[in-house]
Amino acid sequence: MTTGSLDFPVQLRPPERRFGLSLPVDRTEPSSDHELMLAVRGGELDALGELFERHQRPLLGFLVNLTGDRTAAEDIAQTVFQRMLKYRHTYRDDGSFTAWMYHLARRCAADHYRKSSSQPAAVDPAELSEHADEGPTAPERAAHGEDREILRRALACLGPDEREVLLLSRFQELSFAQVAGVLECSVGAARVRAHRALAELRRHFLKLQKGACP
Amino acid sequence: MNCEKTREYMIELIDGRLAGPAGDEVRAHLEACPACRAELGELRETLAALDRLPAPEPSPRLRERVLAAVEREKRSLHSAPTPAPLTRRRSWLFPATQALAACGLLALGFFIGTRRAPPGADLATQRELADLRSRVDSMGQLVGYSILQQQDRSSNDRLEGVLASAAVRKPGDTVINGLITSLALDPSVNVRLNALQALYAHRDKEVVRTSVLVSLPRETSPLVQLAMIDFLAATRDRGAAPALQRLSAADGIDHNVREAAQRALTQL
Repeated sequence: MTTGSLDFPVQLRPPERRFGLSLPVDRTEPSSDHELMLAVRGGELDALGELFERHQRPLLGFLVNLTGDRTAAEDIAQTVFQRMLKYRHTYRDDGSFTAWMYHLARRCAADHYRKSSSQPAAVDPAELSEHADEGPTAPERAAHGEDREILRRALACLGPDEREVLLLSRFQELSFAQVAGVLECSVGAARVRAHRALAELRRHFLKLQKGACP
Repeated sequence: MNCEKTREYMIELIDGRLAGPAGDEVRAHLEACPACRAELGELRETLAALDRLPAPEPSPRLRERVLAAVEREKRSLHSAPTPAPLTRRRSWLFPATQALAACGLLALGFFIGTRRAPPGADLATQRELADLRSRVDSMGQLVGYSILQQQDRSSNDRLEGVLASAAVRKPGDTVINGLITSLALDPSVNVRLNALQALYAHRDKEVVRTSVLVSLPRETSPLVQLAMIDFLAATRDRGAAPALQRLSAADGIDHNVREAAQRALTQL
């Protein structure tokens, strides 16, 4: 990664793609996530299948980056959907499905590591590089491949709380008010923590890029 | 707007999610502050790289496991509790609970009577109702006493009794009344829930619907309250509306219960 022009004023639209977080939204789909979850709450349990199809990738991406452990991430993702079933009666009429899902996800991740008595491990770059890159063109992939690996390692250098707030902030569906709700802190605190986490990520990234591995 | 405050908003600014006066102030600060502009550029690069990280492809096994969990939950919703052997029914229904059953039926008779009494009932009817109320009060004390006596039996024994009742194909008034009494007075949440589930098959009987209705305000467990609300919503009985309205407006009620009551009101 190199420092480019500042490109000021800033872009006015969010990036269209965020490490696989974009949802496969079907414009002809009549039901919103909220409507589907209300249907699940009302006893139409098959609606959870549609919610799973829509959210499994972003949820798994979040959990893999959060835990650095793909196997654990899949186990936790499964638990998240099981808890949606179990606690469907607690879903609120005025709720945001995405915020509720990530609220459950961080609880499930915490429970997972409490049970296994271990902390999230660093991401194994060898494993992650097996996954196809869907975004940039081939030359871009070649240029960015090494940086991506370093970025994974830099992400793993962050503390769990820093990783969590930073990853949550990357979801277009979540406002900072919702991120704060998921983290159970004030909006201001969520903003400050996300900024610090991002600055830390950059610091680790530059350090690793220069070969100063921690 | 100073540098520290500007940093707080940088992620939203980069994402194009910062509008309104805060956005204007941040942009104004950036125009005047080269250090913040430099930091913004660096952070934008880092965020862009983070956003480019490829998402892992979920394994087919994850889908299989989640959909299997959905199927399991659907089966558990539709399956009735396993009935206890019918031989246990006699030990539960006779002889001690016969008195309870009679008391419960009498109490429900009173409730149904008041529910149906015309607003301008004549003096004789009112006197009759007052007399009935007095008898119900006395019986209520007896029921309470009998229930206390029942504490000697374990909740498992009482649950088996309820399940045995649920297994009776054509239950008479005594069996239904036993279930009603359990729903209204048993101290175990599990027993009350199973009694309610057993009564669902008899929701066409007014005595059953009314028993759930009069038990709801006295119920303390949110779990049972939710099940009762679902029951009443399923019966589409407009007579349940006042009780549900009171519950949805009451203080100290679990928010899930309150919301369920509000939903049920729209379904009646």
